[in-house]
Amino acid sequence: MIPLKFDYEVAESAQHAVELLGQHGDEAKLLAGGHSLLPIMKLRLAAPTVLIDIGRLNDLNYVREDGDKLAIGAMTRHTDVEHSDLVKSECGILAYTAGLVGDPQVRHRGTIGGSLAHGDAASDLPGVFLALDAEFKITGSGGDRTIAAADFFEDYLMTALAPDEILTEVRVPKLNGAGWSYRKFNRRAQDWAVVGVGAILERSNGSISSARIGFTNMASVPVRASATEQALSGASVDSIAEAAESAADGTSPSSDIAASSEFRQHLARVLTKRALDEALSR
Amino acid sequence: MTATQAPGKSVGAPISRVEGHLKVRGAATYAYEHRLDEPAYLHPLQSTIANGRVAKIDASRAEAEPGVVAVLTHENAPKLEAVGDAELEILQNGEVGFRGQFIGAVIADTFEAARYAAGLVEIEYEERETDADFRPDRDDLYTPEQLNAGFEPDTSVGDVDGALASAAVKFDATYTTPREHNNPMEPHSSIAVWDEGELTLYESTQGVYWTQNTIAPLFGLDAEKVHVISPHVGGGFGSKGLPHANVVLAALAAMLVEGRPVKFALTRHMMFSVAGYRTPTIQRIRLGADAEGKLSAICNDVVEQTSKIKEFAEQTGTSARMMYDSSNIQTTHLLAALDVAVPSWLRAPGEAPGMFALESAMDEMAIECDLDPVEFRIMNEPEKDLESGLPFSSRGLVACLREGAERFGWDGRNPTPRSERDGRWLVGTGVASSVYPVFSMGGNAATIRADSDGKYVVEIGAADIGTGTWTTLGQIAADELGVSFEDVEMKIGDTKFPNASGAGGSSGITSWGSTLVEAARSLREKIEAEHGGNIPDEGVEASAKMPKNPHRKEYAMYAFGAHFVEARVDEDTGEVRVPRMTSVFAAGRIINAKTARSQFMGGMVMGLSAALHEESVLDTRFGHVVNHDFAEYHIPTNADVGELDISWIEEDDPYVNPMGSKGIGEIGIVGSAAAVANAVYHATGTRVRELPITPDKLIS
Ligand SMILES: Cc1cc2nc3c(=O)[nH]c(=O)nc-3n(C[C@H](O)[C@H](O)[C@H](O)COP(=O)(O)OP(=O)(O)OC[C@H]3O[C@@H](n4cnc5c(N)ncnc54)[C@H](O)[C@@H]3O)c2cc1C
Repeated sequence: MIPLKFDYEVAESAQHAVELLGQHGDEAKLLAGGHSLLPIMKLRLAAPTVLIDIGRLNDLNYVREDGDKLAIGAMTRHTDVEHSDLVKSECGILAYTAGLVGDPQVRHRGTIGGSLAHGDAASDLPGVFLALDAEFKITGSGGDRTIAAADFFEDYLMTALAPDEILTEVRVPKLNGAGWSYRKFNRRAQDWAVVGVGAILERSNGSISSARIGFTNMASVPVRASATEQALSGASVDSIAEAAESAADGTSPSSDIAASSEFRQHLARVLTKRALDEALSR
Repeated sequence: MTATQAPGKSVGAPISRVEGHLKVRGAATYAYEHRLDEPAYLHPLQSTIANGRVAKIDASRAEAEPGVVAVLTHENAPKLEAVGDAELEILQNGEVGFRGQFIGAVIADTFEAARYAAGLVEIEYEERETDADFRPDRDDLYTPEQLNAGFEPDTSVGDVDGALASAAVKFDATYTTPREHNNPMEPHSSIAVWDEGELTLYESTQGVYWTQNTIAPLFGLDAEKVHVISPHVGGGFGSKGLPHANVVLAALAAMLVEGRPVKFALTRHMMFSVAGYRTPTIQRIRLGADAEGKLSAICNDVVEQTSKIKEFAEQTGTSARMMYDSSNIQTTHLLAALDVAVPSWLRAPGEAPGMFALESAMDEMAIECDLDPVEFRIMNEPEKDLESGLPFSSRGLVACLREGAERFGWDGRNPTPRSERDGRWLVGTGVASSVYPVFSMGGNAATIRADSDGKYVVEIGAADIGTGTWTTLGQIAADELGVSFEDVEMKIGDTKFPNASGAGGSSGITSWGSTLVEAARSLREKIEAEHGGNIPDEGVEASAKMPKNPHRKEYAMYAFGAHFVEARVDEDTGEVRVPRMTSVFAAGRIINAKTARSQFMGGMVMGLSAALHEESVLDTRFGHVVNHDFAEYHIPTNADVGELDISWIEEDDPYVNPMGSKGIGEIGIVGSAAAVANAVYHATGTRVRELPITPDKLIS
């Protein structure tokens, strides 16, 4: 379990990281917490020849209030999100889900930015950010840009980030009293999700005004449960069970050692119902 | 607990392991960690086909790589003696019998260089069709001559067919257990050094003499020319019992760089191809009983797998031969020989898969007979060992079942499945019996030296694979010498100490302990007879061999146990949780209450793991295990293991050995998977006969 040889550079700032990326081209990779990148390098599924360490960019480790949004620096560790009072009170689903990522060791090293940039649909946070309609701030040699979560995840382990771009910040709306839930199903404590479901429910006058539901591990990218979302828009709170029945519609999750495609779809329906019930009561 | 034990009173006490402080400080030297001058590092070449031969191997690019010392292939490998073991006789020709088989190695100054250069070796194969499909309906299944440990493959007492035909209650079902891989924390590791025709192996092994006796003939050496050093071993679970080809590879490589130590540790991935594993089994169990629930027929027909290059026949059906009373008992074993790696021992080979099937079937039969599963077992308790006709030296199964039922709170259980729920959780309870033979292995000797300061040094080439041997053997010796535990120093894990069998078949304490008792007795006699009861200034020593146990011909010897499990199953997702498990054992005298508890606990957790998680998935097209690491080969974490209530009954068995002890390394795993499956059935009404019990199997 030892990776191939690589060179190592330390970035002093986000701008510097972009410069280094420009210098080294395609063969370079940013190193954040290293908890996704290093395992695949050890398995030799990836073999970058240069690692650009952004682990010391402490100015990208923050949670800030910005009007009706929260801004979270890309280098914020899962554990900091999990324990942030601001996140807990304004966007509880994020704090809760960050607390379900791996084990404490992983949460102390792994970063929010790394979790998103890695683009693994089996990770817990991407689906939640998708359900939150988050925005991602990106810096590159061509300047800064902002991209919606819905446009960010392109394919299996592929995102809209160009090779010379760095994700610097994630912005999510405050929940403002909306109900939320994240349901993770795994067979073994602290393991990756077989399926996960994040749900945010807005209510008005006893009915559901909107439901936003994001899936973990139901496709090669994080996806929304569109059919259920539509069925619940403006619907009565009694329609949750029925709407959850369509949660897996249009999905074709993979079959692997952890579960068959059909079982994943079954879990998606069960967990969606549970997530919606919990969101409603919260 | 480290308080001083009174002289002669250390057996039974929960003494902490004496080498524990070394282990927690990282100061215990494991095989790979011995410091030797200028070691070279080995990275193996493993075949990427399952059947065929190496047609061409070009190592020139690897050899040109800086740091590479040599590349070993079948073209330059030293000749091995033909001992008739195709698993071990590697690199003698280009033949490939399973995927992952060693076909060469790169030896370099650093591990990194060896590994990198291994990727530069170009290999071409002539591939033959791979046959790795394990099915019961193959037309080439065959009966092996004998099973592991020398058991008969097929046995028959009475007339099973007749008894089944006339039985008031009949039961017939097929159970399967998957391929499972041994994965001790410490992977197999060796440092091999040749010096003037003698080989020294720093090994991670369950038996230094087992290694010596296997390796020496391969290299055409007298046994004493092979020195094996193995003071600390990070687990083995059977896979380090008989040496595998990794030891041979290291020794061959070391021949190419004579005088220089060669280091080789398997990676976790390699643990899934070359270090042995448990065969998958398919077991058809048939039971017949009269209207009262008295068994009239017991039958286990087993199909299992072996490798085409070397036979290993797990004794899966043997526990059905002696567990319950019946006038008609039949067991059979058929093997499928495939293009797969060689299966071997994994904790309780035979009993572990065999008792999953039998104890699941006993649960199903109790329900058919409308009897409580505890009472059903008790009413079918045999009076003697039906296979040998001998009485049991002691048989504590009923006591374990009763004691366990009491501790667990079994009484008043509603037998109806799905009768209890807690919100979305269906709650059930299950029971299963456990058994393990009291094996004893030959070839043991020990030397004990007494010094005039009242200290004793005990030498025997025994093994501590994490089981506590360093400590327990000291306790046995101290008591027999009539001195306190602190006055005895143990020396084990090295062929410079007297001959010993290995840690396998839960036989260690019986074999080594009996030998120590004999040596201690001779030493005491010698001190009495020759030195008037006082240790002379120059010290005195005595040696002894393991005496024959005459009772072995008179009694059948087994340890027993009973497991009680509570399972909770999420009705909608099929998630299974086991919040508590009570197990009671009857394993003779317990030598060390603390290390014994750890052994029982480890076995129980491994049974839980077999019940819910473990399964090596073979890609039959290519013959390799797909989930070859801990990310995908699941074992429970601490957080998955609930409350474990572990105890044992007092058992006084004067026949098994002078200590009155029975082996405890394996009995914990036996039956525990069945207890989980039985509890899952009780919770859900769904009977899962194929391990592991994954959530999808509980959702219809
Ligand atoms: C044992 C274990 C268990 C785990 N369990 C879970 C789990 O249950 N759920 C879960 O969701 N995750 C899990 N993870 C993954 C964990 O969450 C990772 O830490 C996270 O996915 C990646 O974050 P990182 O900072 O470590 O990224 P790194 O590994 O450093 O980087 C990952 C990728 O993102 C790129 N990258 C990183 N930061 C940026 C950036 N700012 N801009 C652009 N590109 C960037 C890197 O170049 C690399 O390609 C587990 C990991 C381990 C080792």
